[in-house]
Amino acid sequence: MISYLESLLIFTALAIILASSLNLVLGYGGMFSVAHAVFYGVGAYTASLLALHLSNSLVLSILCAIITGGLAGLLLAVPALRVKEEYFVVASLGFQIIASTVFNQWDAVTGGIGGLTGIPPASLFGYEIDSYGAHLVVTSLLAAAVLAIVAALMRSSFGRALRALRDDEQALSSLGRNPTHLRLVTVALSAMIASVAGVLYAYFTSFVNPESFTLDESVMMMVMVIIGGAGTVWGPPLGAAFVTIFPALLSFLKLPSSLLGPVQRLTYGVIMTLLMIYEPAGIVGLLRWVRRRQIILNGINGSNRAAA
Amino acid sequence: MARTAPLLELIGLSKSFGGVKAIDDLSLVIADSGVTSLVGPNGAGKTTLFNLITGFLVPDRGRIMLRGRDITRLPPYKVARAGVARTFQNLRLFPTLTVFENVAVACEASDITLSEKNVSKLVDSTLERVGLLARRDVRVADLSFAEQKFVSLARAIVRPANLLLLDEPAAGLDGRALERFHQIVRSLAAEGRSVLLIEHNLDTVRGISDSVAFLDQGRLIATGTPGEIFAMEELAALYFGDDR
Repeated sequence: MISYLESLLIFTALAIILASSLNLVLGYGGMFSVAHAVFYGVGAYTASLLALHLSNSLVLSILCAIITGGLAGLLLAVPALRVKEEYFVVASLGFQIIASTVFNQWDAVTGGIGGLTGIPPASLFGYEIDSYGAHLVVTSLLAAAVLAIVAALMRSSFGRALRALRDDEQALSSLGRNPTHLRLVTVALSAMIASVAGVLYAYFTSFVNPESFTLDESVMMMVMVIIGGAGTVWGPPLGAAFVTIFPALLSFLKLPSSLLGPVQRLTYGVIMTLLMIYEPAGIVGLLRWVRRRQIILNGINGSNRAAA
Repeated sequence: MARTAPLLELIGLSKSFGGVKAIDDLSLVIADSGVTSLVGPNGAGKTTLFNLITGFLVPDRGRIMLRGRDITRLPPYKVARAGVARTFQNLRLFPTLTVFENVAVACEASDITLSEKNVSKLVDSTLERVGLLARRDVRVADLSFAEQKFVSLARAIVRPANLLLLDEPAAGLDGRALERFHQIVRSLAAEGRSVLLIEHNLDTVRGISDSVAFLDQGRLIATGTPGEIFAMEELAALYFGDDR
């Protein structure tokens, strides 16, 4: 039971890294991408190959994955940003399909459908990360670091420019900023962060195959960002936690297993539709609403007391 | 050589939309400093001209020279970096950003090496100049229209651009706001910047311009001092219509 909980929390932390990084592109950059799982996969395969053939150093794996992930990001962004921004989602879909094919078919490198197995535990400063607890600590720390980085980034001049880009691209270019360049950097950065999650995933599960990096996974990451609140620092982690933990809660309902998947998907679909209509800022938007109400209610109670 | 070239030179510019000639073989030289007003009836091509100069539109024919450098086909961000700043008729501010952030983005857009401290200093002094320092941390969407106009002006003047294109900057301003606007534009010219502005209010044009260029149907009809232009009967007829 403990290890089940730990594993659930590890997957939540991974989802937080993925959703937060996708949020840079989707929430702040305003580009809809359904290829985020590709970068997760590139990170995972990079770490696996490195661990199987060269070194299981976690630091080295992360550094290499950041490079390969960043390059994969550019591979998507350079051609995709030549077309009009509305087509970015189409370009990203194409990229996801191509990448899935490569993961599945390039047997010599990715191990094809069977994937790569027998990945040794990662080592960090001489320690082997081989227990659930150790994985949980490392993954949580990195998820916290990613959140801190995203928050700091959005307060920096880069974040300001990115939010300005979302508000009015032409105005931004009239001020001297190259919007395409800004988007390129954002996609690459987001891909780099996602690939770190891939590294942690590969070492945790000790095997990777294309199943984990499909279009479905990319779409689920988008769901996390939108349910939580795109373009906010705390929305995507909340959405990630919800999407990861909700199915686990659902399994306590003792539904027939054939119903679990459809019920999950229906729930996400209904929630997303309702949020789009009533609260586009997602869970974060709902929390803000509750807080505003509380402040107002407190204000009323306070003045009532003053009157009495 | 480059030093002696005029700040802005438009040579035989033409631009059509469908069959309509928005700008028709227009040539114009803008001096190194001073205030030039573009006037003319609606649809004369004034905003189209701004969009051509700033790279948002590419002319069908003709060239745009900035200090002797051909900027005709540069994208907007490169034109901006070459030293041209502009405002938009519909402002186009970043509504979810604060006043400070709007101007800071402008400050950093052409020079990302500026330190946070220098950006802060530059932005704050510009906000003080346009009278918005007290509203520094307010989201732009929550400002009054007049205040938003001054944010758009601040965004254009925060960088050391030599050429400022202001599209109807005074429209909707009155009283003290209008007075402040006049004073800022005059001080920009005094700093040695060149201001090209589109303006409908003829009192404003008279009050702040060194020269006036009169456009009609995409053609440059006349240039001169405000006194000279306003003395021309036929221009008044064009501007106000014959039924005046």
